Amino acid sequence: MAAPVIDTQSGEQALNTPPAPRKRGSFAVHFAHYKWLYLLLVPGVVYFAVFRYAPMYGVSIAFKDYVPFLGVNGSPWVGTQHFQDFFSNPDFPRLLGNTLILAFLNLGIAFPLTIVLALLLNEVRLSILKRTVQTLVYIPHFLSWTIVASLSFLLFALDFGPLFLFLNNVMGTNIDFLSDPNWFRPLIVLQEIWKNTGWGTIIFLAALATVDQDQYEAAIIDGAGRFRRVWHITLPGIRSTIIVMLILAIGQMLNTGFEQIYLMTNALNRSVADVFDTYVYFVGITQGAYSYSTAVGLFKSLVGIVLIFGTNALAKRFNQSGLF
Amino acid sequence: MMRRKLSLAAAVVTATAISLTACSGGEAPAADLSTVSIMAPFLEAQPPSADGAVQKKLEELTGKDINITWTPNASYEDKTNITLASSEIPHIMVIQGKTPGFVKNAEAGAFWDLTDKLDDYPNLKTTFPDIQQNASINGKVYGVFRGRAPMRAAVMFRQDWLDKLGLEAPKTTEDLYKVAKAFTEQDPDGNGQDDTWGITIPKWGALGTNSPYDLIEEWYGAGNRWTEKDGKLIPSFETEEFLEANRFVKKMVDEKLINPDFATFDGTKWNEPFFNGKGGIIVDVDSRVSVLVNLFKQADPNNYENKVGFVGNLEGPDGELHAHPTDGYSGFLAVPKASVRTEAELAKVLEVLNTMNGKDVAILLNNGIEGVNFTLEDGKAATIKPETEESKAVSTDIKSYAQLGMNVAGNTFYPVKQPTEYEQQVFDKRTEVMAGDLKSAVYNPAAPYVSATYVSKGAQLDNIVADARIKYLAGQIDEQGLKDAITLWNTSGGDKVKEEINQLWQDNK
Repeated sequence: MAAPVIDTQSGEQALNTPPAPRKRGSFAVHFAHYKWLYLLLVPGVVYFAVFRYAPMYGVSIAFKDYVPFLGVNGSPWVGTQHFQDFFSNPDFPRLLGNTLILAFLNLGIAFPLTIVLALLLNEVRLSILKRTVQTLVYIPHFLSWTIVASLSFLLFALDFGPLFLFLNNVMGTNIDFLSDPNWFRPLIVLQEIWKNTGWGTIIFLAALATVDQDQYEAAIIDGAGRFRRVWHITLPGIRSTIIVMLILAIGQMLNTGFEQIYLMTNALNRSVADVFDTYVYFVGITQGAYSYSTAVGLFKSLVGIVLIFGTNALAKRFNQSGLF
Repeated sequence: MMRRKLSLAAAVVTATAISLTACSGGEAPAADLSTVSIMAPFLEAQPPSADGAVQKKLEELTGKDINITWTPNASYEDKTNITLASSEIPHIMVIQGKTPGFVKNAEAGAFWDLTDKLDDYPNLKTTFPDIQQNASINGKVYGVFRGRAPMRAAVMFRQDWLDKLGLEAPKTTEDLYKVAKAFTEQDPDGNGQDDTWGITIPKWGALGTNSPYDLIEEWYGAGNRWTEKDGKLIPSFETEEFLEANRFVKKMVDEKLINPDFATFDGTKWNEPFFNGKGGIIVDVDSRVSVLVNLFKQADPNNYENKVGFVGNLEGPDGELHAHPTDGYSGFLAVPKASVRTEAELAKVLEVLNTMNGKDVAILLNNGIEGVNFTLEDGKAATIKPETEESKAVSTDIKSYAQLGMNVAGNTFYPVKQPTEYEQQVFDKRTEVMAGDLKSAVYNPAAPYVSATYVSKGAQLDNIVADARIKYLAGQIDEQGLKDAITLWNTSGGDKVKEEINQLWQDNK
């Protein structure tokens, strides 16, 4: 609800009128005054109402025993039955654990790497080299997970995959990376890094471009080396961008990526591979348990909201501007 | 104050929006049934064209406009569920099996109960009442089943390797082990390198899906999904024979007679190791024999005979043949109540299905159009050569249209004449072997029964045992671990499934 406040202020200046008196019953006056600005708001409100909020009534099937033939309204209410089933399900701790571990690995490894790569690119002085590398690291982002999974299967194929042979020679082992449960998470994080790190640098590179160049010159005169400059000038310069990106990333944290994990799962690694996303698909779509899987999805969304507000509050407490 | 009024305004807008979207859903128009819509899966790369020769002929024979929604097979199950939740429901839906989604909808009344209706139509009255029973939900028939040959299990092997090593075709599971061992250790391709293995198994873990594991278990006498013991039905994985069979497979895995990546190997590449001379044995359905023969033929048309040998089911260690049949059907054509509202409309739809089950349409769907893509030779359909654009289109289209074939009274269409003498021999031998094995078939006694607990939890429950089976074979867990998984199956709801299945079985005896 930040947008209307800004609109109101700029409106006051533009119309060059004294601020509307804020007292009881003044809304009609206030409204008449700014009616054109409110009109501008209407398309946005309608969009959110129709395409974002109205479909949410479908969420009600989380509290019903939904059968497609009976429809959303015709299906009987069952209260919080599905939530109780889910939390008491022996799979629940495993799903939660797998989801959180993957989420934190992605956040803890893939996210900082994006910043590191952006810093590295920023230090490249040769423009043509910098641009070429930038373009090259963006490319994997445009490949679908199906292709990434196929590539992984080829590279790590048992007995003849080049990476299979190389890594096992180096480590002196004979590990089947594709089915060994201990290697599932490293493989997933590796794929994530390979595919999305380059793309993630875009926003950081934009932020880096805004850092004041004079400060670098001053630092050089003071005798600061490259690392000192990165640490004391570059990083503080993009701190607020990092915080905003972090909050957004944490909000998306539990979306561990259905396709990627589904494609890499097999009978031998399922114990570590099952996450909320694959579970919702497996139970909901293939077993036709819509209500139950909606309940699981709803739970996931609630955790996401808590995380995003939590991180935002935390960021504000440490004197950083949050997201909202 | 302002905030409250604003949120009130927002609420009004939202409410209006909701009622608007609710209205646009609307009511489906009443069916006049001059057009019959059908939803069906296709397994080819492209769906058939809507104005092809087969489509026109089908409309001519049925006297209706037939509107078929072809849906990719890979996502068919998802699409079925989504279609049932939508307002665009076809008159006839191909349902691929008694999936939880289908059972729930059927029990809520989404489909017409056809139990007492089918016998009134000459072409819908089945000559295989057992199979119709298998396809029912606890005795209620919700669709016209799509008949399939019940006996299909076969062991195929590189005949040239077998001849080179001077071995006999396997008859028993013990023979299978010996052949696999020889294929692995005695350099059957004669290149002086230790680069071959015996049996190739792809990523295929799920229980009761006619996988190589399921076949070997049945040959050992574990039964077909369920088996009767001491007057009660138990899942076949609770038998001693199940454990024996898996010890046998594990022995082969440990001795490297099976491809080491059996848990992850891509099933669409199953033929490759066989063809390329890596893995010499495949345990699957007999139709793969002809596919393999054709692969060799395409690579070298002058030298492809005697590359592929095969036998049917194998005798178990008890010296008896427990042949593995399927349930004899591959889903059914069901009629949703949401699109076909009245008994009168239902009668019209069943009339169409009756025509589609007649000989003329059966020939169209399976053989094609006589004089265009095939001619009759000694009662067999021979493909016309050389193929024209037109005949090719028909031959391609019928691969998809065959999905609509039901054949509840056996196959009324023509057997296909094989292109060469050798392939005809292979085909005839397949037919003969399968007919022989059918006499020793061990059926699933619980096939018609659907337990409520199994509907809601079955897939998760079965996964416990299915994953444990693969883990045991791969050496991640020992036999005790496999037994623990079976106990977990029971305590997680499996004992309830057993109770319900036994109750239904007793009631219907």
